[in-house]
Amino acid sequence: MQRKRECIVLIDDDRDFLEMNRRLLEEKGYSVSCFDDSDEAMRAMHCIKPDLVVTDLMMAGLDSGFKLSQKIKQDPMLGDVPVIIVTAASSLQGFSFNPHSQGEFESLNADAYFDKPVSTHIFLKRVRELIDKKGEAGRER
Amino acid sequence: MNDDTQVLVVDDDTGIREGCCRVLRKAGYEVHSAGDGKSADDLFVRNKNFAAAVIDLQLPGMDGIELTRRMHAVDPDCVLLMMTAFASIETAVQAIKQGAYGYISKPFTPDELLLQLTNGLKKRELTLESRSLKKEREKSLLEIAQERSRCSTIIKCMADGVIVANTDRKIVLRNAAASRIFEMYRADHPQEASCTEPGSVPLPCPVSALPCAELIGLIESVFKTEEEPVIISKEVVVGEGTYMVNVSPVTEGDGTKCGVVAVLRDITARKKLETAKSMFVSMVSHEIQSPLAVAEGYLNIILNDTVAADEAQQREMINRSYLRVRALREMVSELMNLSAIDTGNFVIKRSFININEVVRCAVECMHEKAKDGKIDLFFESTNGRGSENGPVVRVFADKNAMFIVLKNIIENAVKYTPTGGSVRIAVEENGLYARIRVRDSGYGIKPDEKCKIFDEFYRSKGKLTAGIPGTGLGLCLVKKLLELQEGSVSVESVYGKGSEFTVCVPIER
Ligand SMILES: Nc1ncnc2c1ncn2[C@@H]1O[C@H](COP(=O)(O)OP(=O)(O)O)[C@@H](O)[C@H]1O
Ligand SMILES: [Mg+2]
Repeated sequence: MQRKRECIVLIDDDRDFLEMNRRLLEEKGYSVSCFDDSDEAMRAMHCIKPDLVVTDLMMAGLDSGFKLSQKIKQDPMLGDVPVIIVTAASSLQGFSFNPHSQGEFESLNADAYFDKPVSTHIFLKRVRELIDKKGEAGRER
Repeated sequence: MNDDTQVLVVDDDTGIREGCCRVLRKAGYEVHSAGDGKSADDLFVRNKNFAAAVIDLQLPGMDGIELTRRMHAVDPDCVLLMMTAFASIETAVQAIKQGAYGYISKPFTPDELLLQLTNGLKKRELTLESRSLKKEREKSLLEIAQERSRCSTIIKCMADGVIVANTDRKIVLRNAAASRIFEMYRADHPQEASCTEPGSVPLPCPVSALPCAELIGLIESVFKTEEEPVIISKEVVVGEGTYMVNVSPVTEGDGTKCGVVAVLRDITARKKLETAKSMFVSMVSHEIQSPLAVAEGYLNIILNDTVAADEAQQREMINRSYLRVRALREMVSELMNLSAIDTGNFVIKRSFININEVVRCAVECMHEKAKDGKIDLFFESTNGRGSENGPVVRVFADKNAMFIVLKNIIENAVKYTPTGGSVRIAVEENGLYARIRVRDSGYGIKPDEKCKIFDEFYRSKGKLTAGIPGTGLGLCLVKKLLELQEGSVSVESVYGKGSEFTVCVPIER
């Protein structure tokens, strides 16, 4: 039986990262949709119903990646979609959020964080794991 | 021993007067004498240093009783000793009522006189001494009271908030600054009125009523700590403000803890600055790491063959890496310029220069880029005196800084104008200023972004301009450089149609 191609949504305001990660994921057989704006991505995701979302952290705001991740987790249709946050700010610990965001940071918990550029092997492994986990959870329900 | 003790002898009987004088002088007193009441009174008023007076009751003119009354009124401490020939209780009582110390009946022996006088003087001395002691005590009491009120005035007027709690966990002292801090908090949080210690609540009130759990905790932990001495310092947020709180125990002489004092210093402004600074550092690190990560990522793909890519695709990835690294280098140089300006190390040397020449240089720099995008880049100086190389418009500015300014603005105009568009530059003299207008037929700027584009790192996130590389530092640098030269920059734009940037620089010194 041929498996349906899993779909991943990429969100980043840097088109080079979109390009790079799209290539990486398409090479592995995923179907990839790219967005450079989180609002637009949010609208599109309701149609696409992706298996995984990879979003940049610092886009329009310092923490727009977190905001997006939170929106996805709270969305009735997208709540079970795993979210990976990637960032060019090297270490999340050394990165200073305002106290307001700090709370969000702890409460929303994306499923994984990666520094840019992602180390290919680990990144692809994690993507696979998260999609499989979601599949299993879906079947159980 | 009686050397400087002055005694006045008053008697109309020369014999007795002289006799008394002799006896007293021999005893070491300094003696003055008078023969009648009137002259005695005058002498007494003039010379205020009489310690004692020996007065005959029967005097011509002003009698002894009247004289006594007057002298007592002038100096109540003077020992007044009456001499009377007719010793009677009545006259004695009368004299004593008028302030006399005692009386002595004529005739008397020299010893009797001296004994009475010495007793009187002793009593006087005691009186004076006890009075001066009392004065001193009053003085020191006054000083203590003043000292206390000085201390409380100082505490009251301190800019830092001060709170003192006793071992019953009651607040017993709170200065105006502390009241203000909590009043302000209460004004911001009216719904919490129940658990809030307003600045105006009468003292003592419980520590637990303070509107800040962290502060309550700090005070409690100083009470609980056994080690000596403890001073706990911590940054605490109360409402909108951030305070550096120092809490230390109040100890008595023997070291027992009788309370806790908390001092709250407002560091809100410093905190804001620190936040702004660390925001800037995160922005910079993000802007530096992004292009490096792009280059690293692309080169990794090519080197490790992670993704199948033909030669053209590989070339494109190398080209993207190259462009990002080059832009990064430009950004770093812009950052250096900005930091030099902020630290006052950017050297501005203003002189009279021909701004047309600077514009021409900047235009030439952008020529290539404009040609690539098929953009009509056109410069014409309509104003100014003619010369061999075209008209001259003299301004008072730094040539290097003006070049950076104009290159940035013209570069933006070319960058944010789609293929086939146009960029027109015009220079005109306008009173005290020369105006350089750079008008493009490009993407334009939304009204709400017109101010923001001069902020560091601000870049518009439009669909059309998404792929255009840049740092968001150019216009920030432009604005700062012009400020240093008493110039200015402004922008007018119709979104989707084009923009016009206008730079003004002074003509005169
Ligand atoms: N001529 C222009 N037309 C349209 N937008 C402009 C123009 N000049 C500047 N901008 C906007 O202002 C932003 C800030 O400009 P700048 O500080 O020079 O940074 P950069 O050009 O590196 O992005 C740009 O990203 C762009 O969105
Ligand atoms: Mg620019």
